Amino acid sequence: MSDTADSSAADAAAAAGPSNEGPAAAKAPVHEKLPKSISSLIFIRDRGIIVLWLFLIALFAIWAQPYFFSVSNAMLILSAGAISSIFAAAIAMGVFSGALDLSVPGVAAFVGMCSAWMISHDIPVWVSLLAGLAIGVVIGVINARITLVGLNPLVVTIGSLTVLTGLAAVVGGGYTIPGLDKLAFIGTDTYFAIDQTWTVDVQPWFLVPDFSFQLGGFDGVAGPVFVMAAVFIVMTVFFTKSRGGIRIMAVGGNAEAVRRVGLSSDFYRTMGFVLSSLLAALGGIVTAAYVGEANPAASPGIIFEGLTAVALAGVSLAGGRGSLPKVLVGALILATIGNGLTIAGADPYWALVATGVLLIGALLADLMLTKAVSRRLVSVGNLSVHGKA
Amino acid sequence: MSERAFDLTGIDLHYGFVKALDGVDFHVEQGEVVAMLGDNGAGKSTLMKVMSGAHRPTSGHIAVHGREVHFHSPHDAAAAGVQMVYQDLALVEAQDIATNLNLGREPLRKGPLGWLGFVDRKAMREESDRELDLLGVRTAPMHRPVEMLSGGQRQVIAIARSAVRVTGESNGILLLDEPTAALGYEQTRLVEGLIRTMAGRGIAVVLVTHNLPLAFEVSHRIVVLNRGRKVADIPTADTENDHVVGWITGSRPSMFASA
Repeated sequence: MSDTADSSAADAAAAAGPSNEGPAAAKAPVHEKLPKSISSLIFIRDRGIIVLWLFLIALFAIWAQPYFFSVSNAMLILSAGAISSIFAAAIAMGVFSGALDLSVPGVAAFVGMCSAWMISHDIPVWVSLLAGLAIGVVIGVINARITLVGLNPLVVTIGSLTVLTGLAAVVGGGYTIPGLDKLAFIGTDTYFAIDQTWTVDVQPWFLVPDFSFQLGGFDGVAGPVFVMAAVFIVMTVFFTKSRGGIRIMAVGGNAEAVRRVGLSSDFYRTMGFVLSSLLAALGGIVTAAYVGEANPAASPGIIFEGLTAVALAGVSLAGGRGSLPKVLVGALILATIGNGLTIAGADPYWALVATGVLLIGALLADLMLTKAVSRRLVSVGNLSVHGKA
Repeated sequence: MSERAFDLTGIDLHYGFVKALDGVDFHVEQGEVVAMLGDNGAGKSTLMKVMSGAHRPTSGHIAVHGREVHFHSPHDAAAAGVQMVYQDLALVEAQDIATNLNLGREPLRKGPLGWLGFVDRKAMREESDRELDLLGVRTAPMHRPVEMLSGGQRQVIAIARSAVRVTGESNGILLLDEPTAALGYEQTRLVEGLIRTMAGRGIAVVLVTHNLPLAFEVSHRIVVLNRGRKVADIPTADTENDHVVGWITGSRPSMFASA
């Protein structure tokens, strides 16, 4: 038996040798490395968004100097991006697991109202927060249960968005719930403030005369930024290192593959919904804390901002792929554009135009790079297979 | 090559008034490759579905390693050591080779990180490398995403994913549905080599195919189905292409007395 196996492997190798796919195919070693041209294209595709962000920062640093390129302004951008990036993460959770969850704004509004109601009724803050997050988990399970019957997640979550928006209004009788001072620690409170100021002048190397930036005079880091950091660190580790995260990604990529190896694809799809709703609930609570009152009106803008960040990050809406740090960069790019254009004195509506153009441009660039990669993969004969020689 | 790894006797399966399978006997031994041939609608796929637990036969007995079993689902079949590789490979394209091979049995890291469900990616890659080496197929680095592999490489990964799951404690049974349907010459040779290696390691392989050269190349025995009945069951060395074609088309009489 082993004789035949060996000889067949040798045959396969022999067949591979004089193959008509060109010299590259014949010479490719068993563990071939990707050619430089391909790996650099992949690098651009995978890291391009960070380059884009750095480019935007450099652009605004020059255009909107000296106010843009300062630590305090960086903190403003972070604060502005913190809440929307939490919602972007919530949208990303759904997309990763293969279901676009549109109920995110509804969950945020409803949970924000519930937690605010509890706090205004003198229930301890930590109980109110945990109860709010628990409500998020329950909503995620309900969304998943209904979807897994065999309905389209888009339609199901639009339904639950509507239901939750209504319920959010019911909780407060249609009014906002103010007086959330007890939540300021994750809202308006800032940490690590520095009172002193230094201005640093940098004599330019070329192009930019009188380039300067400020140090100190630091108002501190706002509460939501810490929540954002915690969310992205924990979730990134979960999705890249842990069994559960890998399986949620796998179920988003190909649920059948998960089923065939004997895992419950339904369980991991449910996990996707639960994480999405959990982060949406967290975002709702932080929003209420930041604004100082809970608003029952669900803002659909959350979805579009989140989706834009997700798409900028090159996350396929088909599911099963994507990286959370890039989603964060995507959300921060949106905040950077808004902030930079405002400081530069441009009409704020241009921020919308720039964001839209950037989004479509990013998608086109991603598509072209992917096509270029696959074209090169074929042309170098990487598509041929080789038995163990 | 003596023990019957997988033994089906008198399998009937009726869809309403249609007899998809009519008293089919089928067996495969450890380390044996059996090619199952037949025209479209002859019952090959139905018999595969019975073997993989997707369908329950109307009557008949199924035994794995001499023990009678009743498959209520593909999960039962997998638990008994029967794995099926479908034509649609169902790989997770965005994930790398190691993750695909280890999905559902990812090695965890030692210590507290492992208790939290942290996966030991290094161990996973090394283990996958070793397993593919044993199967004689090293295709690409283990961290290469499946979407960057060729059709042949994907087929190899899909087969290997099942193969590494049946070679655990007991020698298992692997059902392959048209493993070379989408492959070119060189890639087909690779899969042929893989099938031989697996049989050499004691796996019982059932191969459903329309590809007669492939069947003659790798199988020890050829079984032909025609209209839901087994019309031929013969060592590959004792038959020839024209006879097999005759059985497939029905122009050659069945080897077995018709009931």
